[in-house]
Amino acid sequence: MATSWPKKRRLIGSKLQRLDGPVKATGKAKYSYDINRPGMLHAVLLRCPHAHAKIKSLDSGEAEKMPGVKAIHAIKKIGDELYWAGEEILGLAADTEEHALDAVRAVKIEYDVLPHIVKEEDALKEDGKTVSPFGGKRNNVLAAKDAADDAFEKGRTDAAVTVEGSYGVPVVCHQCLESHGLVAEWGEDGGLTVWASTQAVWGTADELAREFSGKYKIDLPASKVKCITHYMGGGFGSKFGPDIQGIVAAELARAAKAPVKLMLDRASEIVAGGNRPSAYGKVKIGATKDGKLTSYEVDCYGTPGVGVTDTVTFNALPYVYPIPYKRKHVRIRTNAAMQRAMRAPNHPQNCTLTEFILDDLAAKLGMDPLQLRLKNLPQNNPEKVKTAPHSLDALKNTIYQREIEIAAALAKWKEKWHPPGKTDGVVKHGIGMALHTWGGQASPQRNECTVTIHADGSVVARTSTQDLGTGQRTVTALITAEILGLEPGQITLQFGESTFGASTGSGGSTTIPSQAPATLRAATAARDDLLAKIAPRLHSEPKELIVERGKIRNTAQNKTWDWKAACAELAKQEATGAGFWTYDESTKPDNKDVSSSGVGGVQIAEVLVDTETGVVRCTRIVAVQDCGMVVNRLTCESQVAGGVIMGLNYALFEERIMDRATGRMVNPDMEFYKLGGIEDMPQIVVHLHDMPERGVIGVGEPPVISTHAAIGNAIFNAIGARVSHTPFTPERVLAALAAKGGAK
Amino acid sequence: MKNFSYYRPKTAEQAVALLDDKWGTTELLAGGTDLLDLQKEYIAQPDKVITLRDVGINQLRLDGLDKKPDDFILGAGMTLAEIAAHRGLKDAFPALTTAAGDIGGPQIRNMGTLGGNLCQRNRCWYFRDEHTPCLLKGGDKCFAIDGENRYHAIFTQGHKCVMVNPSTLAPVLIALGASAEVMGPKGKRTVKLADFFHAPSSASEREHVLKPNELVLSVTIPYHHLKNASYEVRHKQSYDWPLVQAAVAFKYEDNKATDVRIVLGHVAPTPHVAEAAAKALEGKEVTEATASAAGEAAAQGAMPLSQNAYKVKLVAVAVKRALLTAAGHKKYWEV
Repeated sequence: MATSWPKKRRLIGSKLQRLDGPVKATGKAKYSYDINRPGMLHAVLLRCPHAHAKIKSLDSGEAEKMPGVKAIHAIKKIGDELYWAGEEILGLAADTEEHALDAVRAVKIEYDVLPHIVKEEDALKEDGKTVSPFGGKRNNVLAAKDAADDAFEKGRTDAAVTVEGSYGVPVVCHQCLESHGLVAEWGEDGGLTVWASTQAVWGTADELAREFSGKYKIDLPASKVKCITHYMGGGFGSKFGPDIQGIVAAELARAAKAPVKLMLDRASEIVAGGNRPSAYGKVKIGATKDGKLTSYEVDCYGTPGVGVTDTVTFNALPYVYPIPYKRKHVRIRTNAAMQRAMRAPNHPQNCTLTEFILDDLAAKLGMDPLQLRLKNLPQNNPEKVKTAPHSLDALKNTIYQREIEIAAALAKWKEKWHPPGKTDGVVKHGIGMALHTWGGQASPQRNECTVTIHADGSVVARTSTQDLGTGQRTVTALITAEILGLEPGQITLQFGESTFGASTGSGGSTTIPSQAPATLRAATAARDDLLAKIAPRLHSEPKELIVERGKIRNTAQNKTWDWKAACAELAKQEATGAGFWTYDESTKPDNKDVSSSGVGGVQIAEVLVDTETGVVRCTRIVAVQDCGMVVNRLTCESQVAGGVIMGLNYALFEERIMDRATGRMVNPDMEFYKLGGIEDMPQIVVHLHDMPERGVIGVGEPPVISTHAAIGNAIFNAIGARVSHTPFTPERVLAALAAKGGAK
Repeated sequence: MKNFSYYRPKTAEQAVALLDDKWGTTELLAGGTDLLDLQKEYIAQPDKVITLRDVGINQLRLDGLDKKPDDFILGAGMTLAEIAAHRGLKDAFPALTTAAGDIGGPQIRNMGTLGGNLCQRNRCWYFRDEHTPCLLKGGDKCFAIDGENRYHAIFTQGHKCVMVNPSTLAPVLIALGASAEVMGPKGKRTVKLADFFHAPSSASEREHVLKPNELVLSVTIPYHHLKNASYEVRHKQSYDWPLVQAAVAFKYEDNKATDVRIVLGHVAPTPHVAEAAAKALEGKEVTEATASAAGEAAAQGAMPLSQNAYKVKLVAVAVKRALLTAAGHKKYWEV
């Protein structure tokens, strides 16, 4: 049966406060950290303090005798090699967290300390081969990837003006406010329950079931493993699956026959809980005199830590703008924790390597950078205009043009933009912009939702999906209420438990485009079931009955029943409906424009740069974002504002600082790993560029991508000098001013 | 955190009697914003923790104003929030209330105390890392000298450890000519704040000159009607340490600055008295030109490390801005 959104929408697209706001604000909401089970033990992980070492001896005998210690689980053994400072060696559970922390320090362990490399530039200088074997080799520097466009050479020749620059973004950490971790408890029935801080409720249970049934050859069907995540304090791509602490907590709980809580402390959270890879690159761009881009050349590198993945989206360089290209990327493996997906993985890096040089070029051309961008936007693909008129490819030019217009108007670009560095005074104003793009389609795997209507008129919407703080819970209630003619507050949510049906991890901005259609289908099916079941008792044909706000109406007899009265006719039955959604469902012709993929986005930032101190204050950011059909305008705007805040922190503050000598991160805290506070926040103006005809598209990731680039370009506009690397610290701003000869 | 015995003495004498005569085994607990962190990180591992909450040093002694009208006596247990909000202090010593009000966030200011601010341990990230055996933890080298030192000292002369003293009240109090009343086993003594701080280079030293069995009872600030101000250059506006801080105080009569004191914070292991800067301004009107010149003089002699030369520039700016603020000039940097 065809699926489609209601033509007339009462709630969808409105601003609905998140339903769990009050319980979160008052502390009643229980996060994983807040779960305390009877007899629960506290676990900590022993981590390697060295960036590269081999375990020479390991003796936990003393530790076992320490007060309160109930179980120890070895992760590594004598002879094992460790490749980064913070790598997990063993887990230990005790009756209190304090006892566990003391006991873990009583583990006697000797290391053969081996050479390490923690800085990208050191590996480039000399490959010390300090990392784990990959393809049989221990090289820190992996073979370069390169590619060039057929049109590149001609483009380079055609360039009347060229600009070169070096730009970069460092490794930053996820810094989830709620750290990684969980409480694990084995039940009388041999089943396992975890209360986990995860972005993948269903997947975490699934992985734990596989891990333990495989390892211990025990009968642990998925039905006996339950993951509960009612509330969650941020993941940003770093919290898929049980993770090492999930496995260790379950092992310790099994060994100690008691529930175990294992939540990372702040230092572990930062060091081991996830990081975004760095990207540094030399970029050269060519253009005609009137600003038509002709060639783009990038030679970049970055570190995924001990991982091996790219640190840019190689095939999307240059970013957004179609320019004949030549590109090269080198992965540098360092003795640091492996990178994890982080909110729009690799797109901020691509944005860095494209958007900064555009403004440098505009300055050389004497052009307004907004005009330069307009001139070089991707075109609407004529083929797609015919075959898929609502796809991003068909609409790219239209969307970006319109978004730039809107953003420019909201930011008063015409009034505020001035040639770079051309303002008086010590504290200089600047304005800059940047563009981004993202997908946001439905997940390829199944997402389910069920809706049940009871005879007393109460309604339950049930799904295993997680609400990372995005507002998904509120969205599920909103859609159910829309279809049933109720208010969102009337919907009881059973949410965030793996036994509530299949769902996928919240990655790739896939949650809302997967869950919203599943909810739509479930609520629609429940409604139809209700109407079918009560029709005879209302002396109606089901097809005569429709749902109105709080009522059921017989359109033939022009008769209405109050919702509750109508539901009472269910007597001893329930009405139920189930719905699911996948990417494949979204591409079926019958289901056109229910969910879609592909967004643009434009951000404009304003800054004040104190040219004596180098201190940058971002005063205002306009973020224009399309995301197809907006479901809940308030939480959607909130997502965009959250992305902007995160992007501002990338721009001004965040940096993982590794120490060359010790191989450890020196700022694994919230003191010197800087995150802006309330006084550092700009005015944030969010404009959602509505395109309801495209269906639902996820928007969790795109708004984080271009903020730092817009701020970087605003600084360039303010001082006429390029601060080329984030974070834009006072030191770097002063250095850029000095290089330009303008420092006071 | 290592287990410890907790003591709650009723008097300063009782507190002193509980203290050991060597560092490390006993610790005084005031607001706890530093000590508890150090204990949780296994940097401080005392056997005894002695809380000062009941020893009666929490007051600003306003009655002292009657007896010695020239002095303000601040109990060491006054919180930073109390200092920041005190109207009398604000009128007399805006440098102090500004500095106190800029420390940390509200939670820190509500718990942190004057005495604790003066006696807190430094924030060097090597010192604070459990696994790094730096000089102050009995090791044989300072890791910052050749390591990550962007926030470290720029006046490094003769110092084996190049951390910066973290107190932002200290430069102000030194500029204002304050002194601390200290109690030890032999009774009370007075230590000028200018003589209070020390650059440690081993585990048996602290950032100040107090003996392990001494505690700060109060700080007395003489009221000499000095113009005064404190200016911090900070990376973040919310909740951050200053990159550099300048505290200034001077008599200002007939547009002439005399008795000039300029003290820098966060540039050396102790608060750094910039004598050349004070001398540069002595007897002159405070103008942008004279303030700039004093700022340049303050930066003279800096020997920055590999990553913190930028702080030398910031010293000059901070001094200039503090002087202009104290003299009541328009803050040209605020738009």
